[in-house]
Amino acid sequence: MNDGPLIVQSDKTLLLEVDHERAGECRKAIAPFAELERAPEHVHTYRVTPLALWNARAAGHDAEQVVDALIGYSRYPVPHALLVDIAETMARYGRLRLEKHPIQGLTLTTTDRAVLEEVLRSKKVRPMLGERFSPDAVAVHPSERGNIKQALLKLGWPAEDLAGYVDGEHHPIDLREDGWTLRPYQKEAADAFWHGGSGVVVLPCGAGKTIVGAAAMAHAKATTLILVTNTVSAHQWKQELLRRTSLTEDEIGEYTGTKKEIRPVTIATYQVMTTRRQGTYRHLELFDARDWGLVVYDEVHLLPAPIFRMTADLQARRRVGLTATLVREDGREGDVFSLIGPKRYDAPWKEMENQGWIAPADCVEVRVTLSDEERLAYAMAESEERYRFCSTTPSKTRVTEALVRRHGDEQVLVIGQYIDQLDELGEHLDAPVIKGETRVRERERLFQAFRDKEINVLVVSKVANFSIDLPEASVAIQVSGTFGSRQEEAQRLGRVLRPKADGGGARFYSIVSRDTVDQEFAAHRQRFLAEQGYAYQIVDADDIGEEDPAR
Amino acid sequence: MEAMTGTEFTEWLRGRSDGQLRTLVAARPELVTPVPAHMDALAARASTPSAVGRALDRLDRFTLSVLETLILRPPPVTRDDLRAPLARAAAGKGAESALDHALDEALERLRTRALVHDSGPALRPAPGVAEALDPPAALGPPAAEVFRHHPPERIEAILADVAGARGATGAAASARDGQAPRDRLTALLADDATVARLVGEVSPQARAALEELAWGPPTGRLPNAHREVTAASAQSPIEQLLARGLLGATGEETVALPREVALFLRDGRIHRDLSPCPPELTGTARGPALADRTAAGQAFAFVRAVEELCELWSADPPGVLRTGGLAVRDLRRTAQLLDLPEWAAGLIVEVAHAAGLVAAGEGEWLPTNGYDSWRVRATEDRWTVLATAWLAMDRVPGLIGGRDDRDRPLNALHADLRRPGVAQVRARTLAVLAAAPPGLAPDPGSVLARLAWEQPRRRAALRDQLAEFALREAEHIGLTGLGVLSEHGRALAQIDGLPDADGRASALLATLLPEPVDHVLLQADLTAVAPGPLTTDLGRWLALAADVESKGGATVYRFGERSVRRALDAGQSADDLLAMLEKHSATGVPQPLRYLVTDVARRHGRIRVGTASSYVRCDDPALLDEVLADKRAGLLRLRRLAPTVLASKTSRAGLVDSLRAMGYAPVAESLEGDVVVARADARRTEGRLPSRPAGGSGPDADVAAAAVRAMRAGDEAHRAHRRPSGAPDGQVPRTRSTDAIQALQEAIRQGSRVWIGYLDSQGHATSRILEPARLEGGYLTAYDETRATVHRFALHRITGVTEYGG
Repeated sequence: MNDGPLIVQSDKTLLLEVDHERAGECRKAIAPFAELERAPEHVHTYRVTPLALWNARAAGHDAEQVVDALIGYSRYPVPHALLVDIAETMARYGRLRLEKHPIQGLTLTTTDRAVLEEVLRSKKVRPMLGERFSPDAVAVHPSERGNIKQALLKLGWPAEDLAGYVDGEHHPIDLREDGWTLRPYQKEAADAFWHGGSGVVVLPCGAGKTIVGAAAMAHAKATTLILVTNTVSAHQWKQELLRRTSLTEDEIGEYTGTKKEIRPVTIATYQVMTTRRQGTYRHLELFDARDWGLVVYDEVHLLPAPIFRMTADLQARRRVGLTATLVREDGREGDVFSLIGPKRYDAPWKEMENQGWIAPADCVEVRVTLSDEERLAYAMAESEERYRFCSTTPSKTRVTEALVRRHGDEQVLVIGQYIDQLDELGEHLDAPVIKGETRVRERERLFQAFRDKEINVLVVSKVANFSIDLPEASVAIQVSGTFGSRQEEAQRLGRVLRPKADGGGARFYSIVSRDTVDQEFAAHRQRFLAEQGYAYQIVDADDIGEEDPAR
Repeated sequence: MEAMTGTEFTEWLRGRSDGQLRTLVAARPELVTPVPAHMDALAARASTPSAVGRALDRLDRFTLSVLETLILRPPPVTRDDLRAPLARAAAGKGAESALDHALDEALERLRTRALVHDSGPALRPAPGVAEALDPPAALGPPAAEVFRHHPPERIEAILADVAGARGATGAAASARDGQAPRDRLTALLADDATVARLVGEVSPQARAALEELAWGPPTGRLPNAHREVTAASAQSPIEQLLARGLLGATGEETVALPREVALFLRDGRIHRDLSPCPPELTGTARGPALADRTAAGQAFAFVRAVEELCELWSADPPGVLRTGGLAVRDLRRTAQLLDLPEWAAGLIVEVAHAAGLVAAGEGEWLPTNGYDSWRVRATEDRWTVLATAWLAMDRVPGLIGGRDDRDRPLNALHADLRRPGVAQVRARTLAVLAAAPPGLAPDPGSVLARLAWEQPRRRAALRDQLAEFALREAEHIGLTGLGVLSEHGRALAQIDGLPDADGRASALLATLLPEPVDHVLLQADLTAVAPGPLTTDLGRWLALAADVESKGGATVYRFGERSVRRALDAGQSADDLLAMLEKHSATGVPQPLRYLVTDVARRHGRIRVGTASSYVRCDDPALLDEVLADKRAGLLRLRRLAPTVLASKTSRAGLVDSLRAMGYAPVAESLEGDVVVARADARRTEGRLPSRPAGGSGPDADVAAAAVRAMRAGDEAHRAHRRPSGAPDGQVPRTRSTDAIQALQEAIRQGSRVWIGYLDSQGHATSRILEPARLEGGYLTAYDETRATVHRFALHRITGVTEYGG
């Protein structure tokens, strides 16, 4: 009997025993073709999905390597059917290729005529194609480069895009490493992207994705369009680029609700791009405003549907997606694969933490009990009101106050979903509240004051979910969330994961009403983090006394 | 002539030793069903077209070629006469010594099977063989046959062209000898020199046409085949051939190449590309250990899939179609649930059925009670049951989803999937895999080529299809891994001759399967990973307290509120649960899991729900006090739930009746509000016994030996006109029929004689001394000493059996 660290399940999940002496090498061997799904303390679960296998193919791995890795590390015999399935799935990638033909322009070529016949018969694909000028090649309308990749992926014959990229307008960009250096994994990530052409880099919050973006720009040395989630994040990108690269103030433009600057490097928000007036997108011209050499998508897992459609037309430009998680609440991972590109780099959170790149964090779920009257009111509430009711219970305010008291000397963020709850909390804690209606200038003032430790407690709504760089925040208290959103939880934890000046750890509290839908949603939200190895402690609100509940 | 050969053949058979006859019977079991009375009968049966046909079907290509050569050579034929044409045909295919060896073996095989017999130094085909092989070696009919229906004047015209300018005198001379024209033509065509000259005369196109026909098929279609052509008037190449008798019209629109001409064209060979050895198996080399492990992994997955299927069907059984079988829709759904392609799901369904684990009952496909006993056995034993059933079953799962001759879809579990020879094809396919060098995964193509060489007379298309199915299915079941026959597969298919009675296959497989573990790894995300199959108790407990998330070599369980509640409902307490977790966790119990268990337990059981078959409701508590106090109410098992409500386990109707009998005047209430909680049990049906493996192709050795004994005895009696010996006096004691059958089987095995009581067709009680030979289909075949003949006895008329020492 083989004593490998890996167990291959019939549903194509791989269980890796992390304490096994060969676990490290095994992880390296399987990482290219299996997605890490869960990474709790003892056994990590990887899943072999078609997308993962195609990602591996795109990275130059073949079925033989995959099968060897599985057989070599598997503790038990690997069912043959599974091996065959893997080989067949992998063989599907690259049978079709998008290439540049000197005369015909963009073409779809094949090494397997039967496959081409099959896709030609598809009603979805056919209209995107032009003349079949040879038995193995058919012309593709240049504007359909993205759509056809999406359609072929749906048919199960993902096309390899070898049609190349336009260089775009040259613009000198260099990293300016004065007093800081690119971390090894950031360099690896940027290099992996550059060699792959286009694709997605997956790094945990706080691991410096902005810098990976800057490094990618330094590779491209071309005009760059950066798409970010909101205005504050746009400002932070700008600050970071000024600090890390040779770019100057006038070279970076902001294209937001208030400013409409188009410069060699332009940072635009998703919101502006998807604003519609009279049924048309008003700002589409931005994509054609310059000959962009690189498009950066921040938080690619949030990419709204219209941006996908616009991206389909940008397939000749290099694209890099940055995200902490490929999990999409809407399940459009396939579109990310075909339109932005395959995953180019991935590192598990816990590993980054062990290497000291992100702060270690303790996660605590605090359960509050509703009073008897509240329970009755909860039971009688309309189902759509229930969540709001139980997640804004006054008991939570009391617990929050106790927690803030306990961490009196630390920088605390209180995060919530419901504005009136936040206002009330702000009053009780005597802390400023940042919400959707807070003006950008005011927001930035408050963030700066928080960074400078002039204020210790900040109450924020979901506007601060993403890309707000508050390195000194070491405690986050979540009082309510957007139902069961897993990525929101991850993002919120990310707010406190930036490495601390004192090297200390971070603390993430999630306050949950017991025996209500709040608890169910909380369990769902925590799954992603629990699977990434963040074990939640669960404590009762009554235990939040004077001593530390987590000890 | 024929009769003489027949006699000679019979005598030769009679001269064979008992051992040789036993091998004959074993190789051609159809000769002893029923057992022939004497050697004449055996010889006659061995020469019938059907018996010869079946024997020929079992011959490999080389042996068949030897037999064809023997038929084509003019008698008498010795071994060396056979060798020359075979050597030419097999030129360049291995060493000369290999040919000699193969030839001797082939001849021995033919003798063993009584297809060839010795006649002095010469060899002769057994009667009926030549007819069964006609036409041999894809040759056309002999010239005498081809020109039989040509009018004499047409033959004369041909003769004139054949004789040509130079041979005219010779031909004329023969004519004067009074020989018929047809015989003269035949004689000329048998002469190689003449044919060579004729072939030399025709155009290259005509020669190409001849070459085409030479290796068969030797016939062609030609409109107006009986046209009158001469060498001079011939237009087309075909006409040139017709004019010279190199081609003859065998019908209005068909022409054939006379056998003599074909033999000349074949240049002394009878067969093309003849190989004395079976074709080499080619393919990919694999590590045998790796192949075994892969096969074992697949075997494990297969057993699991069958179990999953039965569990699915016991909760939600699909219906049986009106014509029998499983609906396409149901198969598709099953495939989806099992996460398998449809063909694999079809295979699993069929194997489960063949192993007697599912059967039709009450219009639905349900697991049988056999499934329950199968389920609790060890994985390797369960696999052996399934794989054995697959080997023996006569259905072809691969046909599911296809269409039959009348273009109707073929459904799983339908009788239309039967193909009689399929078990044999499976066995032969596995045998071919077993013949491959260790670690070689033969290409399907080379396996099919080998099978074609081994039994060239079988219908190729069907055999290839069945063999391809067999290869695919063997892989899926885990008999082969990576295309290599595994050790356990080899043991199961009994390829090395050892029957698998002692469970060798199971034992071999067991060493490769994951060993049961008695611990799990508990994690903070509320999962438990069992890194191997769990010991039964722990497995059952975990299945109760947690939900299965993923299966395979390991099992991943997830604890949730629902699953913990389920365990609490089953009577476990929070402390029990935690103690069990602690005991079996390799790593301690994480805090969130501990919290979950206590949190669910805290809320568990605050609301109580019970079942009651009926209740008594009364606004006056005093009246209910009275009812409860009544002694006669004891049987009703009443329980007071509230001052005004009693619950009872008795049915509503029974309660009403009893209360009336006690002198009250109750009224039955409607069912509304009455809660009856009863989960329907998983359902079962009576299964039939799984089909027994055919156990090789022939009868077992005991039966063969007994049959030979009986024939010998019968034969002696037949020839010597032996006087029937009298039966001993007295009555044979009565025996129960099961004992009688046992005694007869024992006698067959021992070869001993028995004394039986028998009711003859008139109903008279008689007694006989028998040498039992075969027990089959309610009849005993035996040599009857009292009548001096082999006879069949109806078992139900045998009144008693006892040993007979005399």
